[in-house]
Amino acid sequence: MDVNLMEEEALKAIEEAKDLATLENLRIKYLSKKGLVQGLLAEMKNLPKEEKPQFGQVVNKVKEKITSALEAKSLKLNDLALDAQLEKEKIDLSLDAYTPYIGTMHPLNLVVQALEDCFIGMGYKVAEGPEVELDYYNFEKANIPKDHPSRDMQDSFFIDVNTLLRTHTTAIQMRELEKAHGQMPIKLVCPGKVYRRDDDDATHSHQFMQCEGLVVGENITLADLKGTLQFMVDSLFGEGKKIRFRPSYFPFTEPSVEVDMTCHVCGGRGCPACKDTGWIEILGSGMVHPNVLAINGIDPKKYSGFAFGVGIERVAMLKYGIKDIRDLYTNDMRFLKDFKRFD
Amino acid sequence: MNLSLNWLSNFVDLSNLDEQTIIDKIIKAGFEVEEVKKLGEGTNLTVGKVIECHNHPDSDHLHVTKVDIGDEVLDIVCGAPNCREGIKVIVAKVGAKLPGGIINKSIIRGEVSNGMLCSLLELGIPKEILDDNSPSLNGIEELDDSFTIGDNEVLKHLGYGDTLLDLSIYANRPDCLAMFSCAKEMAAILNRPCTLPKLEPANDLGEESDFKLSSESHNCPHFIAKVVNHVSIKKSPKWISDILRSNGIKSINNVVDISNLVMLETGQPMHFYDLRSNPHKEITVKDDYEGDYTALDGITYHIQKGDLVITSANEPIGIAGIMGGDNTKILDDTSGIIIESALFDAGQIRRTSNRLGLQTEAALRYAKGLDPLAQQKAVDRAVELLIKYADASGLEKSVIYGSDNYQAITVSETLEHLNALLGKTFSQEEVLDILRRLDFNPELRGEEIISHIPSYRSDIAIREDIDEEIIRLSGFDDLPSTLPLMPQTVGKLSTRQSLRREIEDTLTNAGLNEVLTYTLVDEKATMQTLLPLGEAISLLSPLSDARKFIRTGLFPSILETLRYNLDHNNENINIFEMSAVYAQGDKSEERLAILLSGKLQSSPLLHQNIEASFYVLKGLILEVLDHIGYGKGRISIVENTEATKILHPYQSALIKLGKETIGIFGAIHPRIIKEQKLVPAYYLELNMEALITASPTKIKAQEINRYPSVSRDISLVVKEDIKAKDIIKTIEKCGGKLVSSVKVFDVYKGEHIPEGYLSLSLNIIYESKEKTLKIEDVTPLHEAILNKLNEEYGANLRD
Repeated sequence: MDVNLMEEEALKAIEEAKDLATLENLRIKYLSKKGLVQGLLAEMKNLPKEEKPQFGQVVNKVKEKITSALEAKSLKLNDLALDAQLEKEKIDLSLDAYTPYIGTMHPLNLVVQALEDCFIGMGYKVAEGPEVELDYYNFEKANIPKDHPSRDMQDSFFIDVNTLLRTHTTAIQMRELEKAHGQMPIKLVCPGKVYRRDDDDATHSHQFMQCEGLVVGENITLADLKGTLQFMVDSLFGEGKKIRFRPSYFPFTEPSVEVDMTCHVCGGRGCPACKDTGWIEILGSGMVHPNVLAINGIDPKKYSGFAFGVGIERVAMLKYGIKDIRDLYTNDMRFLKDFKRFD
Repeated sequence: MNLSLNWLSNFVDLSNLDEQTIIDKIIKAGFEVEEVKKLGEGTNLTVGKVIECHNHPDSDHLHVTKVDIGDEVLDIVCGAPNCREGIKVIVAKVGAKLPGGIINKSIIRGEVSNGMLCSLLELGIPKEILDDNSPSLNGIEELDDSFTIGDNEVLKHLGYGDTLLDLSIYANRPDCLAMFSCAKEMAAILNRPCTLPKLEPANDLGEESDFKLSSESHNCPHFIAKVVNHVSIKKSPKWISDILRSNGIKSINNVVDISNLVMLETGQPMHFYDLRSNPHKEITVKDDYEGDYTALDGITYHIQKGDLVITSANEPIGIAGIMGGDNTKILDDTSGIIIESALFDAGQIRRTSNRLGLQTEAALRYAKGLDPLAQQKAVDRAVELLIKYADASGLEKSVIYGSDNYQAITVSETLEHLNALLGKTFSQEEVLDILRRLDFNPELRGEEIISHIPSYRSDIAIREDIDEEIIRLSGFDDLPSTLPLMPQTVGKLSTRQSLRREIEDTLTNAGLNEVLTYTLVDEKATMQTLLPLGEAISLLSPLSDARKFIRTGLFPSILETLRYNLDHNNENINIFEMSAVYAQGDKSEERLAILLSGKLQSSPLLHQNIEASFYVLKGLILEVLDHIGYGKGRISIVENTEATKILHPYQSALIKLGKETIGIFGAIHPRIIKEQKLVPAYYLELNMEALITASPTKIKAQEINRYPSVSRDISLVVKEDIKAKDIIKTIEKCGGKLVSSVKVFDVYKGEHIPEGYLSLSLNIIYESKEKTLKIEDVTPLHEAILNKLNEEYGANLRD
């Protein structure tokens, strides 16, 4: 058989092979021990001696060509077979088959954590105190006079004449001021639950949460309070919100200020959320009243300080657009499951 | 309180200040303007005269009129019964904007109407401040002849149209409830001069008096009484009734109106008694009266000990500081009066007024505090007005009990301290200017700036108060924004706080939602607690029985949350809460509560569900505890024999840390589930204090074993009351250090296993840190273990 003709036939057959079985038959036909290529080599013994080497080279080349053509074709057919197989494995991507459930933190605790983290970064410690509190820490030490309305049974949950459910986290500040024994500086935030004798409605809750902050040291100024609160607002609501101070009154601070923030809904242009003022009231604060320092053994001539108090519900309601404060205490799973992060 | 801008303009020059500017400045100075109200509103109003009035041909109550408004005569259809020819009326012309809408040209049952004749009510004036006989109450307003036809400022000339600013005033500024001192404040804010009426001392006016006055209560330290033997009762001058109306007070007669006006001006509540009702010429203030008493409003109130009462001849004649008595009030034929101007204790007035539910203008002012000089100012002003507008004569000298105890105060501040506290640099001139605006008469003594505080500014006592005035009136807008410069401090969480966060992290990752429930519960809830802490604390004045006690445990609150969610068709309630609980005797501890019900995880398409069960809860808490540093070696789970009313007696257990019981968990008792129509649920409560006291185990890295391990599975048939834990212990003990782990991977009861027995499948891992284990190392040990299990538990390998 003519070598060249065989090569041509073989390569053509390999090229045209449709499947691996055909290819295997071709391999047997040409390359097996009894195959055609081997047959050619068998014919070699009939050739004149001087032609043998050349013929041998030609046949080997043909063998190599067929071998590599078989390999190439085999790879190609394997790929095609895999493609066909993969196509059969097509799945419905739209199905949600695995639905792991990751729980959520309560939104109020998310806000508390965010506040804590913001202030821890500035070197504040996080203080706590009892909710069943002495009148002494809740009122007396906080410079709240005996006949102040909040000391009425009508407004606070008294347990006996000396004890009540704390009405503000200021009580924690007073404990911490006492605990410091005059050791300055003091830098802390104190989150916690507080209680007032209010009927529950969309904007009032007999139980709510506050986080107050307190800094006492040398040369602490009202301007420092402003800078600190600006930092806090940037951290809680994102940068770009301005704050403004308005005069206010709290018995334990002097001067006292109410703090407004650029309305986060309209960016200050005016909308129903901010009653067209462009501002949202977010917290009360001021310079620690010298009486409060003095009663805790801190010399008001040497030291000054600032304090502020954030309503956690207020921040949560502003941030997440919660309209009814009671939703925060109903613990409806449909409500809770959305608070996947502080945001 | 409502600040009338018309009235304010009598004392402070408001010219060239538009309303918005005034409002902005007031807000910046520390008053919230809750609302801007107009007393009477309407555009395109004029005065007209009805020159013709006929009955509408097609209606039994409408009138067809012709109204002369000066430059034209309008056809107007009017439904008011008092509409008639000849009266002067308020006409709202076409296009007029009234509180109720816009007036359009219209045809009413075939008759043209080019406007509307108005009642004052239609102009937004509340009926409460109208005279009882005002025509506006039943029809249109009738104007008297002094009004000119075509007068376009008819509202103003009627004394209406005033702008009222509803100010909210902080508790430390009661001075702003009195117009005279409020005007001072507004003048300071607006930086305009303030002119107040000059008061002439009135105590010595008149004859010697034999009136007897005393107080038997320390809650009435000062009382001025003055007898005026002759007054004439008549209508108030218009300016007085206008002011009262703007303040929401109805004009009654000149004498009563004067007492109200003086209260509005000076802040001092006054009371005038009819002289005839006090034949004994005697007043005593008492606080030990008990009995019923009918006040001016005709309602009978129960007076108890402690309440301040004005008495004469031992009989009450008024509830001090709150409301006068029905038996002593000024009548139309009153001809002589006794003036009362007294100081009563703020706290006592507030308590009585709250208890009686009687919140009067007088009570409000007493409760908030008065200018110590107000009693005298009020007498001086009232006498002046009574002489001028009530023909007062036959005056007697004032009779005075006690004194005002007023001592003028001065406050000293330095520029250096002021600037250091505020963090802003003020010049001396700026400071002095503001203090002068406030009438503090500043005076320089070396470095010190001395302020002389007016009597009504009871809020100013220390230098920081002065600092607040300076920053308040100069404005906060250009206050710098800085951070405190102080030694470095390290911010961090306490152990307790870190622990809480770790628990929050692990439980939310495991698929639980955190809840936050109320601290206050009802009495029943105090009896339904696990890990008893003690007797529940009750409140002295709870809002309701449902919130009367401070909870001693979390179970009732969590159960309530489950019930709420099931009632709202929410499934798979897997929740936790951390909260402090309290009990009598100063006891408190922080607790963790976990509740599982329904599926904790569910992927139905993968046929994978984790249903809540005792074992899920157990595994969860052990893993959480392990994660936060209390590994399985330190925690043990033992049978619960105590709280078997709340938890299933055979599916509940105690959690111990070392020897201390720190928690309890299990299936909620089926009886509770059935009674409350709940679904099966599993509950855990854990005392976190023990975890905080005991330190968590420190994490120490494990050396990775270089040598391969050998794994053997065995299935044992054992009696069913044998505990898996004991078998594991035996294997570990017998295997020694070569056994690195033993785990149960199947428990089977049923076919091929005899009754009363079960099959327990375990995986044992053999491992050495010194060499690769060969079959001959493991087999003898494994055999020994099997023998031991047979010996101790009668355990046989399953065929």
